[in-house]
Amino acid sequence: MDNRELWTALGMDLEKHDDFLAPVPAIFTSLFLDRPNRPNAMGYFDAVVGDVHGIRVHELYAQKEAGAKVFSTFCVYVPEEIVVATGSASIGLCAGAQYTVSSGEKVLPRNLCPLIKSTMGFKLDRICPYFQVSDWVIGETTCDGKKKAWEILNEHIPTYVMELPQKKDAKDARLWEEEVREFASFIERETKVNLTAENLAQGIQTINNKRQALQRLANLRKHKPAPIHGLDVLLINQLSFFDDPVRFAAQVNALCDELDLRVKEGIGVAPVDAPRILVTGTPQPLPAWKLHALIEQAGAVVVGEETCTGERYYKDVTEPADNVSDMLTNIAKRPLKVNCACFTPNQGRMEDITFMAENLKADAVIDFSLQFCQPYGVESYFVGNEMEKKSIPFLRLESDFSAEDQGQLLTRIEALLEMIRA
Amino acid sequence: MKQAGLDLGSVNTKLVVLENGERVYSQVIPSRFDSVQAGITLINSYVEKHGEKPEKLVVTGYGRVNFPEGRVITEISCQGRGCHAYFPEQMYILDLGGQDAKVIKKNPAGKVVQFIMNDKCAAGTGRFLDVILKGLDLTADELDSAAAAKPIPINSMCTVFAESEVITMLAKGTPKPEVIAGLFKSTAKRLANFVESVGHPECLIFTGGGAHYSLLVRFLEQELKEKVVIPPEPEMTAALGAALLA
Repeated sequence: MDNRELWTALGMDLEKHDDFLAPVPAIFTSLFLDRPNRPNAMGYFDAVVGDVHGIRVHELYAQKEAGAKVFSTFCVYVPEEIVVATGSASIGLCAGAQYTVSSGEKVLPRNLCPLIKSTMGFKLDRICPYFQVSDWVIGETTCDGKKKAWEILNEHIPTYVMELPQKKDAKDARLWEEEVREFASFIERETKVNLTAENLAQGIQTINNKRQALQRLANLRKHKPAPIHGLDVLLINQLSFFDDPVRFAAQVNALCDELDLRVKEGIGVAPVDAPRILVTGTPQPLPAWKLHALIEQAGAVVVGEETCTGERYYKDVTEPADNVSDMLTNIAKRPLKVNCACFTPNQGRMEDITFMAENLKADAVIDFSLQFCQPYGVESYFVGNEMEKKSIPFLRLESDFSAEDQGQLLTRIEALLEMIRA
Repeated sequence: MKQAGLDLGSVNTKLVVLENGERVYSQVIPSRFDSVQAGITLINSYVEKHGEKPEKLVVTGYGRVNFPEGRVITEISCQGRGCHAYFPEQMYILDLGGQDAKVIKKNPAGKVVQFIMNDKCAAGTGRFLDVILKGLDLTADELDSAAAAKPIPINSMCTVFAESEVITMLAKGTPKPEVIAGLFKSTAKRLANFVESVGHPECLIFTGGGAHYSLLVRFLEQELKEKVVIPPEPEMTAALGAALLA
């Protein structure tokens, strides 16, 4: 089956899909492939993007033909270990394209987070093969917009919602553990595979390996000069939600081996005195590359992302255990260490940001919020105050997935860099 | 040595030339949607009068990246530097330009330490005021009498909604001066909140074309309960800063 046959089999709108993908190769070439001094091991990730709606979708399709299911997620809190343990696939979905926002607005308010509108549009337009190949969407209650949008999405694809608590007290941890156990039963029912100590231990191991590979990559960015562009790491972080977890971890580790050598030889992608930026806030889902591209175009280098397409996804691993019940307990514990703005209070996030800024030797923090994101938009107040207390130069940016405000964003970024350099 | 600062703004383009630190030339022309061309025109007319190009040039403003020569510095740094020349003691600047509004905080050395700009919206910018005032088709007398009028609250800050709100008020027979006063008062309130989201100045420097609206300045002082100071030619300070940085 070639790609077009596959897409037809998945019920996609081929004409619209062609229109959507048409500009991607040129954008990807200018933003990524044309940049000098990229690590050789980026070749794998470039190839994945080069056929982003092909190879991996074929794999998932074949997995389904063999009896497995595909579960799609939008959040770092969803325990993919459980899905992977049953031999089914857990993937993240595209949610960062302006192209689908207007379709999303057919059923959603205009003044809603673009990530939610983009997601909805991908489904309504039938132009995301990952969405089309999915049996279920696993939603979660991290914000009101998502929570209510799942009800609409459920009219188009079965949507299972996990209730994430909003505080981190003992009773909240109990609720979440119960949610995780219910989710495990749901996955067992849907996949017709029972969780065992063996397969669940393997699931935990597989996902831990992926997160540890990403941690290793993140840690290499603290070196001066930076051995890799932030934009390349962002791409890898974005792909971490899609790709086969075992192969992906091996490729990230291969990249890290190459970067180890670069560090040893003092080779970097930017001059040693290039301003180093830590990005915090809301995620940059595929294909949202605008912010990193602008920062690095202005002569700085992004050294970390305190976001869901970054540190929040991989900073913690699941502790191993001897039996299924204890494993589920540990699986439930990991996400509650993650400091998303959906929690109140959320002082832990301020500590995360300060630690990252110091560890990565960041010269400034750019706190990015998607338009209409209430939790991160409001919490930006505390991030700004914390940075002022720590005397870390700080810039707050708000944007969406459109290209029209690039000039305005670049002015702000350049002014921040002038501020640091002056 | 001559140093020039060229500010390629969305509405007007400005050139300031300094000789040994003293201003020897300053000129403003409308950008007419092509600030780069306006900048070239300004440089050419300077050369016609003075025979040669200034040795150093810094370009700033919205059109800066497309200008064929000069060192590029953002309008934020330039504004900070230009204002520092007039008001070295004051730390906070509000700039109301054609396309955006910004608040800049500088330190005692004139270096920018913090800034914010309005996001993705014309609300509270010079353009907002221009659009509404143009729609009102004002005479000079009407504008003058607004100073004494009781301001009527205008709630919409979206340019489009505010315009229709204004039209509704006029249709209901609200006197124009009250609407104008209301427009300035509600803009002042929004700008004051914008300033206070950065800090609480004892005295605010107000620049950009918006600083020419004396009623806006008065309401801004009322809202902030602080003094507002305006440099001579408030639309020229970014160009001056650019020249000083050249």
